[in-house]
Amino acid sequence: MKHFLLLGFLLLLVVGCTPTESTEPEILFRVPANFPKPLYDLEKNPITKDGFELGKALFNDPILSRDLTISCAECHSQPSGFTHHGHDLSHGIDNRKGTRNSLPVQNLAWESEFFWDGGVGDLDFVPIAPIENPVEMDEKTGNVLEKLRKSPRYPAMFKRAYGSEEITSARFLKSLSQFMLTLVSADSRYDKFVRNEGGTLTPDEAAGLTVFKQKCASCHAGELFTDRSYRNNGLTIQGDDAGRYRITENEADRNKFRVPSLRNVAVTGPYMHDGRFYTLEAVLDHYAEGVQGTPNLDSLLIKNGQRGIALSTEEKRQVIAFLKTLTDDTFLKDKRFSTP
Amino acid sequence: MKRIINSILAAVFASALMLACTNDDVEPVGTHDKNSVTLEFDNRVGAQKMALGNTTYKNASGEEFTLTRFNYFISNVALKKADGTVVKFPDQYFLIRQSDPTSWEPELKDVPAADYSEISFTIGVDSTRSVSDISARTGVLDPTSYGDDGMYWSWNSGYIFVKMEGTSPVVPLNSAGKRAFELHIGGYGGREATAPNNLRSVTLPLNGTAMVRKDIAPTIHLVADFMKVFDGPNTIKLAETNSVHNPAVAGPIADNYMKMFVVDHVHND
Repeated sequence: MKHFLLLGFLLLLVVGCTPTESTEPEILFRVPANFPKPLYDLEKNPITKDGFELGKALFNDPILSRDLTISCAECHSQPSGFTHHGHDLSHGIDNRKGTRNSLPVQNLAWESEFFWDGGVGDLDFVPIAPIENPVEMDEKTGNVLEKLRKSPRYPAMFKRAYGSEEITSARFLKSLSQFMLTLVSADSRYDKFVRNEGGTLTPDEAAGLTVFKQKCASCHAGELFTDRSYRNNGLTIQGDDAGRYRITENEADRNKFRVPSLRNVAVTGPYMHDGRFYTLEAVLDHYAEGVQGTPNLDSLLIKNGQRGIALSTEEKRQVIAFLKTLTDDTFLKDKRFSTP
Repeated sequence: MKRIINSILAAVFASALMLACTNDDVEPVGTHDKNSVTLEFDNRVGAQKMALGNTTYKNASGEEFTLTRFNYFISNVALKKADGTVVKFPDQYFLIRQSDPTSWEPELKDVPAADYSEISFTIGVDSTRSVSDISARTGVLDPTSYGDDGMYWSWNSGYIFVKMEGTSPVVPLNSAGKRAFELHIGGYGGREATAPNNLRSVTLPLNGTAMVRKDIAPTIHLVADFMKVFDGPNTIKLAETNSVHNPAVAGPIADNYMKMFVVDHVHND
């Protein structure tokens, strides 16, 4: 009798599972064990498979640009950690040049301010900026919605994601957020090492991690490798980009830019807000020898009256070896995120 | 004499009639009655009706100018009753565009029946709504709804509270070969960091009483005199101030335009 009951229970379980098994319920977003709590409020925009698919289609569709030539993926391509590989400044419509280097689209659920100056404080509002920027997509977001309404494919996709064909700014922007939120990079060799999942570091990489913790981690802090602050890291002033000052108009913020994450840093070059450094070696040379005493230079970059971070050639090599362990090939090659 | 007496009688009778009209014709205030109040925004430049395009105006500094665009947000309207209590309407936002006459007379909805003697409102979009979820940004607050008339800064998320554009011979030529000025005023004070705040509130006597009843939906006729943008508490000269796209420098202009509104009169019908 007992066995029958158990069998019945098992049968019930199997029956209960069958209908969903064919569609394989996929978990599109999860918090990695070594990550903190996300800052994005996922309850206000629950990620669904259909919302994700819609967002992915939009992310890859040049319909978002004025002349149907530039998609989000143009400047945020997956193999480069969703950046514009090889471009110091991003190229937009009519090959117009922007003023800043495109930032990686990864781990955005842990960000609360966006762009190099933090001018946008909610992921849902981020896409409006590149769409309406005359040197990027040069389109009006309202016009994008009109194009989507008239397209043969999108009304049905909105219906699948939201229950009706209605295309609103909230639905449009939230589906893009859903796709971007799923772009979680947390499976680098470093992650497998810190989570004791079998990842190992070579002696050079381990030594690099030690140097990194001593000399870099006060700004590139925690498992996201950024403390999300705005700092002047002593670059020579080139051009008139005042960084964070542009948003707050507070003199104390002049020349300050957001501390970027270092995840996938080996594939997201060139570096700095204007992409002036083409290699990680050039970046570390800057911190070791190139730091300038410009207004609002970060106090962490002055020690005992000396500017910069003391780094020997050996230490630089080790730090770079360590930084390369932050490359997450699983993420960079994940078919779910690939351009269709 | 008889004629004089007759005249006096007639006058008394007429007065009595008039008193009767003012006292008895207005229906009593129903406790649960509501109606709308139309806010009629009548944009002028000095003593002239505002016209976009060809009309040339001159400010007190002697600068000639034309206007090509004049838009502003009105929010957080509040009405003060004769007894001093204030009724607030925090969820109704209006965008007045000179180029669109259908936007000039927005309706304030669900106004409780009462006699009102004072109006106040914010010029711009308050800070709470400026940082709210996208799903709360509908109607005139939808950042995708403006087209070329963009009333939203995408790079520094926030609404442009007041947008004033035109031309003037005192403005240097721009890259398009035009002597155009653009004054875009926004800045709600910042989300986390403290940033300039150009939200301004206005409180105006109604210059009469707005009597909201079940069958009376009054119109409050407001005049906005654009000349005050230049000639208010601060003197703004187009020769010096003709390209404003950041909040910090816009404070003196906001201090001026908050003085441009007056209530001309109220219709109770």
